Amino acid sequence: MFLKSLHLRHFRNYSEQLVTFAAPKTIVVGDNAQGKSNLLEAVEWLATLQSHRTHRDRDLIQQGQESAQIEATLERQGVPLDLAVSLRPLAGRVLRVNGCTVKRTAEFLGQLNAVEFSCLDLELVRGTPTIRRNWLDRILVQLEPLYSQVLQTYQKALRQRNALLKQAGSQGWDEALWQAWNQQLVINGTRIIRRRQRLIERLAPLAQDWHWVLSGARETLTLTYESHVPLGDGTSEAIVAAFNEALAARRAIELLQKTSLVGPHRDDVGFCLNEQSARHFASQGQQRTLVLALKLAELALVESVVGDTPLLLLDDVLAELDLQRQGILLEVMGDRYQTLITTTHLAPFGTPWRQQAQILKVTAGTIASVPDTAAQTSD
Amino acid sequence: MSSVYTRPLARLIDQLQRLPGIGPKTAQRLALYLIKRPEADIQALAQALLEAKQQVGLCSVCFHLSAEPVCDICASPQRDNHLLCVVADSRDVIAIEKTREYHGKYHVLGGLISPLEGITPEHLHIQPLIQRASQAQVKEVILAINPSIEGETTTLYVGQLLRPFVKVTRIAFGLPVGGDLDYADEMTLARALAGRREIEWQ
Ligand SMILES: [Zn+2]
Repeated sequence: MFLKSLHLRHFRNYSEQLVTFAAPKTIVVGDNAQGKSNLLEAVEWLATLQSHRTHRDRDLIQQGQESAQIEATLERQGVPLDLAVSLRPLAGRVLRVNGCTVKRTAEFLGQLNAVEFSCLDLELVRGTPTIRRNWLDRILVQLEPLYSQVLQTYQKALRQRNALLKQAGSQGWDEALWQAWNQQLVINGTRIIRRRQRLIERLAPLAQDWHWVLSGARETLTLTYESHVPLGDGTSEAIVAAFNEALAARRAIELLQKTSLVGPHRDDVGFCLNEQSARHFASQGQQRTLVLALKLAELALVESVVGDTPLLLLDDVLAELDLQRQGILLEVMGDRYQTLITTTHLAPFGTPWRQQAQILKVTAGTIASVPDTAAQTSD
Repeated sequence: MSSVYTRPLARLIDQLQRLPGIGPKTAQRLALYLIKRPEADIQALAQALLEAKQQVGLCSVCFHLSAEPVCDICASPQRDNHLLCVVADSRDVIAIEKTREYHGKYHVLGGLISPLEGITPEHLHIQPLIQRASQAQVKEVILAINPSIEGETTTLYVGQLLRPFVKVTRIAFGLPVGGDLDYADEMTLARALAGRREIEWQ
């Protein structure tokens, strides 16, 4: 798929900005806090209806404004596609596909697919479990449009159950009510666990292949979904039974801590290199190789599932990769994936990167197209 | 902000803005429209508002909105006493009545269980429901509650309490998760009522 243009209105620090994309690679150069990442964030939002930088729509709207708009024109397998969103914290979101308002997020998700690789992803191995869960969820939202709704339903059940736990001391205990909320947590939690587990199963062989190549055929990467609920044979029935058992077992401690301790909101992803935990033993270089392998696997998976090349968003990450890893990434990308790259300096890019790349310069929320040479001298 | 309006107008806009679905712009438009109406019209509107508030209460049997102690549906000899349809809100009674497909009686819970909003089962008309459902003539209780997470929990909870006394079914929603009963078109609702099924207990 190809993103032809992006029109931002009152989005982050952009008052009004039209960007036209003219080449497979676009390098967006600018100092920090000028709005480079905001541009990629807008694309990410169209792909996932969320941002990895904030949960609140309010944060995406320019200060002093009531709403923000993102409009995109795309081409998908030769067919034009227009996407538009309007973010209004007071009145809700409006999503439009080809000019028609869609009621359900599932009708919007999956129209634009993007794989994002940002410097935050470098924390995937060593960072908190939340980073790894969010990574899985962002992929699933694009691959399985219903997932977004399943996830929201689970989160709602979780918040309600936590509220009930907080009130447990002050009010009489209603066992039937507790069981009703447990059942909601289990039904919806099981859906999340199964979908995440299935994603890991599909990603694992792809990531293993890439890591094997990137490590010079020295390291075998294994991915596992680490759930608090034993998965058994992986069927819904098995997970539901195990989930109920785990809830019964942790009941006393949940009541004491007044929060839900069992469920996919506590799960994690395990990475092992040659059967050793990468979280504990991998060097920084190995971690970067691993993350690159994960991202290349993600790219391949999204492409095979949606049957089209996703956009690749490289946010401030290339400078973090050495020349060899940059070279591999470039080779994989070729001109097949439309790629948007942000960077503070053009210097780390070799000529192959800049070849035929469109270069945009961002200054305080304004984007200007610049010829390569001009950007070079202003560097 | 309201300093651009003369004070009585600002008060009116402020009152209108508190109504559901009315934003500042709509409130302003309504207020400017209202003050241009003849005084008799405004008197009639104010009177209707007051009388509705003063005279409409809840039916003492089913808790549907009613000006009488017992509502028309509960009082009607034509309605089937064997069937009881449980809904969250009076709006849902109205939506189902419009289909003309249901001839039993109703029970309005008055909301959904939500710990986040502090709504416990004690806040809902659940005890009177159990008393009604345990009467001999009631053969089936149909739970017709929106399939949101709070709706599902309320369905499960109420269903569990009723099970010892009576057959409990729920309407088969072809509705999207989180969809509202009163947005469902009448055909969808009629089909849902016809296709009701027993609840799956875990
Ligand atoms: Zn009544």
